[in-house]
Order: sequence, then C-alpha cells, then structure tokens
Amino acid sequence: MSSGLGGLRLAGTQTLALARRSLNNERRQLVSIMPGLVFPLMMAAVYSQQFGRALALPGFPEVDSFLSFILPGSIIQAVSFGGTTAGTELALDIENGFFDRLMASPVARVPILLGRLGGTAVVAAGKASFIVAVFLIFGVTIKGGIAGTVIIIATAALLVLAIGGLAQIMAIRTQSQEAVSATFPLIFVSIFMSSAFFPTALMSGWYQKLAENNPITWTIDPVRRLVIEGWSASDALQSLGVPAALAVITIMGAVRTLNTKLKAG
Amino acid sequence: MTMNELSASTRVAWAVCIRGMQRIRARPVLIIPTVIMPVVLVVSFSGSFSSLTRIDGYGTDNIYNWMAPYAALQGAVFAGIGGVGSVADDIENGFFDRLLLTPGSHSALLVGTVGYSALRAFLPTTAVLLISLLIGGLTIPGGLLGLITLYLAAASMAMVFCLTGLVIVYKLKSHRSLMLVQVLAFGALFISVGQVPLSFMQGWLHTAARLNPVSNVLELARQGFLGQVAWQTTWPGLVALAAMITVTGFFARRGLYRLTP
Repeated sequence: MSSGLGGLRLAGTQTLALARRSLNNERRQLVSIMPGLVFPLMMAAVYSQQFGRALALPGFPEVDSFLSFILPGSIIQAVSFGGTTAGTELALDIENGFFDRLMASPVARVPILLGRLGGTAVVAAGKASFIVAVFLIFGVTIKGGIAGTVIIIATAALLVLAIGGLAQIMAIRTQSQEAVSATFPLIFVSIFMSSAFFPTALMSGWYQKLAENNPITWTIDPVRRLVIEGWSASDALQSLGVPAALAVITIMGAVRTLNTKLKAG
Repeated sequence: MTMNELSASTRVAWAVCIRGMQRIRARPVLIIPTVIMPVVLVVSFSGSFSSLTRIDGYGTDNIYNWMAPYAALQGAVFAGIGGVGSVADDIENGFFDRLLLTPGSHSALLVGTVGYSALRAFLPTTAVLLISLLIGGLTIPGGLLGLITLYLAAASMAMVFCLTGLVIVYKLKSHRSLMLVQVLAFGALFISVGQVPLSFMQGWLHTAARLNPVSNVLELARQGFLGQVAWQTTWPGLVALAAMITVTGFFARRGLYRLTP
C-alpha cells in the first residue's frame, strides 16, 4: 500500500516537473499564443456588430447582446489554437531524441504525457481568463457569477486536455510535428459546425443534426446557459463532464498508443 | 522596349507560369488545402448562418447564393498567396538568383507568378460552385455574365494578394513571412460584406466595411447570384480591383528591382 502511494507521489512529482518544463516552453514562445487570442477577439468584435439583427429571430436565446452569446465560442476557439501544442511538442521531443532519453530515464510513461498536457491546460486557463476579462470590460455580464466563471475557465482547460490527448495520439503514431499540426483545421471545423457562433435551433437539415450531435455543442450550450441564464448545478456538471469524459478517452488512447508503440519497439 | 525584348519577356513570363502549373501537377497536395478550405467554409457559413435569410433585406432566400461567392473569393485569395509560395521557396534555395540572370525584363518573373496565381484561383472557385450547386441548390439568376464576373473577381483578387505576398517575400525573403499576408487577407475579407449586407452592420464595422475595397469586389462577384448583372454594381468593383492591382503591383515591382544584383 505504502509503495503504491509512494509510486503515485513519484508520478505526481514527475508530472509536475514535466508540466513546468512545458510551461517554460510556452513562456519562451509567447508570440505563438497571440493568434489564439487575437482571432477569437476579432471574430467576436465583427460578429457582435454584424449579427445584431439576428437576436430578434424566433428561436434565438434571449441575450443582452451578441457578445454574451458568443463568449463561450470565443473561449473555445481561443484555447483550441494552442490545443495541439501538447502533441506538436511531444512530436518535437520524438524528432530530436529527447523522448528516447526520457524513456531511458526512470520516469514513468504516463507523466511524460500528462506533464505536457498539464502545461497546455494551465495556458488554456490563462487564455480563457483573459478572454473573459476582455468581454467583461466590453459590458458582458456572466449571470452565473464567480462560480460560473470558474466553471467556464475549468471547462476550457479540460477541453484542451481532450484536444491535447488526441494530438498526442497523432504525435506518437506519426512522430511528425507537421502531421500533428494538420489536425488543427479539423478542430477548427468542428468548432464551426457546432453552436459556437449561432444557435443550432436556427440551423436546418443535416447540418443542424451534425451540430446538435457535436460534443463541442454539448460543451458550449451549458457554458452559454451559465453566462446568459445564471448558475445551475446541472449546467456546471454538464459543461465539465463532457470535456472531462473526452479527455479521459483521448488520454487513455494516448497512453495505449504509447504502450503499443514501445512494445513494437 | 524592342520587339525582341518584349518577345523574350513574354517567353519568360509564360515559362514561369507554366512551371507553377507543373508544380501543382507534380505535387497535387500543394493545391488541396486551397481547394478544400473554401469548400469547408461555404458549407460551414451556409449551415451556421442559414437563418439570416429570414431577415428582411438579406438579398436572397438561399444562403448559398450569398456565401458561395464569398467562399470562392476566400479560396482565390489563398490561391494567390499560395502562388507566392513557389517564389519564396526559390528565394530560400537560391534558384531565384539564377532566374534574375535570365534575359529580358525582370518584370516578366512578376507577371509569370501573377498569371500562375490567377490561374490557380479557378480551382477553388469551381470547387465552391460545384459543391454549392450539389448540396445547396445554388442558382445563378445573372446567368453567364454572373459567372464571368465571379471568375473575373476571383482571378483578380488572387492577383492582388499574390502581388501583396510578393512585396512581403521580396522584402523578408522567407516562406514564413507569408503568414503576414494570410493575416492581412483574413482581415480584409472578414471586415467586408462577406457574411451580411452593409445594412445589417453597425458602428465601426459599418464604416470599415463601407471603406474596404474588398466590399466592392464582393458586390461585383456576388451580383449574378442575387439578380441580374448591372453596371452600377460592376464598375465600383472593377475600379477597386484596378486600384489594388496598381498599388500592389507598383510596390512588388519596386521590391523585385531592389533584389536585382
């Protein structure tokens, strides 16, 4: 029992050390964070000025402004920009041989993956806080209060864990930064084909079905209700639960892919 | 310029243009993002914002008639920027220095690259039209003239952003610098009448989109999909294109001649 706890503590320490390394890398490349902040803010600025009339459409949720409606979409768009970093950096470690040295060291396998993901999740939480702050300055009120705001930021971090896990699977399989980066457009498209920028109730046909069954919609809709309607424990649970479940699936997939790869030699 | 010099320059421009097209044939993967991206955009924009057509004054009851020309121009712009990619590669690997030693006017290198970019623009434009016809029921009330104005606008926008890319690449001499042009292109298209008419916009966006020459080009490209082609919608677009090509062409030519040893 005590050796089990000791092993867990050691894995925790290793994960923290590798997460710190990942954060240091992010800090050295602060410029690369900029597009992830500028593009969503620009889209929000433009959409809030051009979709004002859409608020009167029957089926559009009651909101104070389009900015309130688009806040969750902007956050998810912002964090998705760096979401694949955990994968691209893992691919870089594989390309430059650092990964092999980690494998030869007494570091457990899971912390190697979790450390990277931890770093990107912290950055995602920072980005989400920044976006929320900008929206608050421009008059958006988060009706779910401080608790709702914390849930929104935590949701962003969890979603990045899910995206990062997927990117790590790609990194281990392809061992190429370029291939991992190529997954970003897929994520961008899945955000667009969701309720991120417009309510699914106002879509039609196969596109509406696609958007309604998109896990990004399942994440965004409860977050949006926390913003425009107010606090609700079930919305908080759903907004955290969906990305958490996705994160568990993708991270387990990454661990499994790594084990298979190592067994194959 | 004598007839012989003109003939030599034409041959160089043609060779540069053909070399670009052969590059696509040799590596089709280079053109795939240029074709796929606008197709995905037309489907996403039309799917997400289809209900906008229910608002009075949108101009059409089929969202694809509004979004297809916008996505086609986006594809054309990125096709134009992609055309500069071959020049950036040539500069990085030193082949461009050898091209500068070819006989005739150096402007032929510029003309050839711009021609190649304009031709590239036909691929995404056609792909967007086909997909919109197949899944969106796109109609062209303006008929053949409507199609001609769209293709003209697409090829010209590819030229404008190819020239813009050349200004940057001649100056910074790296492939990576094309990111700057992509950001510029994204901004120019986004702050325009791309997704909604001017009457839907408010505040700073209304002013910015009205002053943005890309709005005039979009109206030129889109008119045949909303109704008949009319001269009063055509000429502002043509003037905007001519002005943008003149200005970017001037700076690109100056950048090229500064590279000449």
